[in-house]
Amino acid sequence: MTVKILLLAGGTLLGSATAASASGFQVNLGGQKNIGMGGVGVGLSLDQAAMYYNPGALALVRDNGVQVGVNGALARVSYRSGDGGPQRNLQNSVVTPFNFYAGFGPKDGKYKFGVAVYTPYGNKLTYDPAWEGRYALTSIDLQSIYVQPTFSYALTPQLSVGAGLTILAYGSVNLQKDLPLPTGTGHIELDGKAKTQFGVNAGIFFKPSDKLSFGLSYRSKMDAKVENGSVTYSGLATGASAAAVNRSFTATNFGATLPLPAVAAAGIGIMPTDKLTIGLDAALTFWSDYRTLDFNFSGNNGNAGAATDANSGLVGGNSVSSSKRYYQDALAFRLGAQYKASDKLYLRLGTSYDFTAVKDGYVGPETPDSDRLTGSAGLSYHVTDNFGVDASFLFEKLLQRTQTQQDLISAGTTDRVAGTFRTDAYVPGLGLHYKF
Amino acid sequence: MNSVFKHSVPALGLLGLALGGCQPNIDAPQISAGSATFTTYLAVGNSLTSGYADGGLYLDGQLNSYPNILSQQFAQVGGGAFTQPLFTPAQSNGSGYLKLTGFTAAGKPITANVTTNLAIRGVSSANGQYLYTKYTDPVNNLGVPGIRLADIQTVGYGSVAGNAFFERITPDASAGQTYLQRVQATVGALKPTFFTEWLGSNDVLLYATAGGGSPSPTAAITSTATFTANLGLVLDALTTGGAKGVVSTIPDVTGIPFFTTVGPSFRATLAAANVPTAAPFVYTTGILAPGQPNTRVAGTLADIRTGGVGTLLLTLTSSDYAGLYGQPTGKYWRDYYRQLKPSLPATVPNLSVFLLAMGVDTTKAFGQSTGNPFPSILVLDGTEQANVATATNAYNGIISSAAVTRGLALFDANTYFRGVATGGQAANAVNNTASYVSGNIFGLDGVHPTPRGYALVANEILRAINAKYGSTFQDVNVNNYRGVVFP
Repeated sequence: MTVKILLLAGGTLLGSATAASASGFQVNLGGQKNIGMGGVGVGLSLDQAAMYYNPGALALVRDNGVQVGVNGALARVSYRSGDGGPQRNLQNSVVTPFNFYAGFGPKDGKYKFGVAVYTPYGNKLTYDPAWEGRYALTSIDLQSIYVQPTFSYALTPQLSVGAGLTILAYGSVNLQKDLPLPTGTGHIELDGKAKTQFGVNAGIFFKPSDKLSFGLSYRSKMDAKVENGSVTYSGLATGASAAAVNRSFTATNFGATLPLPAVAAAGIGIMPTDKLTIGLDAALTFWSDYRTLDFNFSGNNGNAGAATDANSGLVGGNSVSSSKRYYQDALAFRLGAQYKASDKLYLRLGTSYDFTAVKDGYVGPETPDSDRLTGSAGLSYHVTDNFGVDASFLFEKLLQRTQTQQDLISAGTTDRVAGTFRTDAYVPGLGLHYKF
Repeated sequence: MNSVFKHSVPALGLLGLALGGCQPNIDAPQISAGSATFTTYLAVGNSLTSGYADGGLYLDGQLNSYPNILSQQFAQVGGGAFTQPLFTPAQSNGSGYLKLTGFTAAGKPITANVTTNLAIRGVSSANGQYLYTKYTDPVNNLGVPGIRLADIQTVGYGSVAGNAFFERITPDASAGQTYLQRVQATVGALKPTFFTEWLGSNDVLLYATAGGGSPSPTAAITSTATFTANLGLVLDALTTGGAKGVVSTIPDVTGIPFFTTVGPSFRATLAAANVPTAAPFVYTTGILAPGQPNTRVAGTLADIRTGGVGTLLLTLTSSDYAGLYGQPTGKYWRDYYRQLKPSLPATVPNLSVFLLAMGVDTTKAFGQSTGNPFPSILVLDGTEQANVATATNAYNGIISSAAVTRGLALFDANTYFRGVATGGQAANAVNNTASYVSGNIFGLDGVHPTPRGYALVANEILRAINAKYGSTFQDVNVNNYRGVVFP
């Protein structure tokens, strides 16, 4: 299968979930077996999804195989303003993060190679149209697809290393919000595609005995860089005020850069019996790279009359906008277990705790982030020796978080909305694997 | 395998929807009254309390007055009906007001007077002012546009010779009642449990908006002795039944768009026409009237404040005349003569005598020559600003200590509006500023807030109440209240 075909498949099926199992807009849904175990995987060599969790472990995955998985992630975001009014709920949509892995190597050989396609970052939220934060955000759809050709080599029967070239094969952003025009509410939509970028995902895997394994992995940062995204408006002023109001909205294009931060992780695998596998991971996502979200506007739609440098590229009268993020590095701890009930049936259970990437005063509606606790369960059923079905279910609870307008004023973040956010996410998933 | 997969996606979606039926619940906060009781609320004050906006009192402004907004919040903890002297829908434009009709090619706002659906019932034979359709039922909002603390003991203030807005709500039978007596009578009848008091702005504002140049006695700065005594009388009246309440300081008026709009745009227009900033700017200082010194001050354009530099503040009312700078014109003097005519002595029978008495030669370049100076009425100069600041600070000291002495909550409007003037006030991702027309906070007269501005004021008062009485009122969403209406 070529990368191009994979991308076509991905383009139709891949969405991405907000609030899916990791801090910020990170999505930690790499493989169905791992999801069932609380998202562990750095210290394990369960299946081809090792390419995502720890490329170093791929060489020690016993079989060649192809596997696909999809999740139906449904985030339920609730918001309540500090200014009274009803609780606002997100318009519900199911997003379907998707992954594909194919790994090959000579039987009992020292190396394996493969390709992985996955969505490590993404976010999709559509707020109630009447909600109090409409002038900050009405919807966001952020997607990223990484394609990762991977090679892993066993230096000794106990120690293997691996690395993949991560390719930001597809990235897109769509941001929409209402404009508080004096003539009524307008609307602006920013839409753009990210340029292709390259990075690396590498790991080391050490399995000193049948009962113990260790892993370290690192996935580098990539910048989702949008050049020449489109800016479109609706509901601008008409009538006697049109010229006076609309001359502040001349931009037709924008550029922006969104960091997709690096992740470093360490994991331990413990196999006390041949039926039980326990995994324990700690991961650090380097969210502190996300300082500000800056937009540079350009182009001229003629709303200000004859185009000049001074009246070009304006949104709300400014040609640049900078919004503070000041994220912090975020730690996550994950614990999961797999129990082999029979040759055909495997059962899994897991939990995780992710610390938020967003400091108090900086929470915004595009990522209503908070410390989050997850619980997950999963199973695999091996229909034949070669073919099996993997299922998982993950529940995620983001702790309720409140910011007051005073908090926003103190932080200089009044471009977002004060109030209380609370999110639950339900993420069922299904996968198929074929081993040979 | 592929088809199995394709079929599983919608199934997963359905499962997700079924499970997702459980929306997390965020409990609504408990709103409590704290140690105050909000059953019956009485508002006492001036135009700001009445809901005056855009240079007039009209129904939409009344409905968005800060006391009316507060009463809606008080209703959450048992607050009862709050009656305002509303204009009827048929006379909803009340006294008339300014509306925005469009913009010049250069982007300057164009305003016009609203002249339909007014509540004007006639003209007072005593002083020539318009009289408004009476509203004599009992009211909870005693906000009277134009009233000064100095006026509260004036007999006949509610007569046709007094204040037309107070006359409107004063029954004919008690036309001699003073404002203080009205407050006392209302307290006796309504027995308010809570009040807001915001008087005192006009005791210095009328001086300031006339550029410190009006010969009218109501435009004089009220003495601190009178201010202290009258404030005490009002607060005594309001607290006789044990009511709790909020008193408000008065804002420093020099940061409002009335004083910050014309100067900078005048400077910008001249700069664009390549007029050097060293060009002369001649104006008069002090009271502008025959028999006054009408002292000329010869400065330059650089004296006019723009971008925080320069001293002179030009009033919003100067916008009709600033464009005449450098021209031989008598337009201002003719207009001013017409305005002063009823109060001029017999020794000044006509315009030419008036001009002679003022030492004005309309063939000279307006604003550039001592013969045809820019009038004091349109300029608040450094001395006058100092007078305003001194009075404002003195009044606020008196108000603050009265609040402390009586154990009342204090809304420090001065601090609040100073903050607004420098940094604006953001709420729910919308920034509101003190800019004229576009800033959302101030209406077209450049002095009085818009409904958005009044909602911001209400929020600040609610905070002052929460802080003093331990109540837990929430803000109102100010985005639900409009700024200036654009055509």
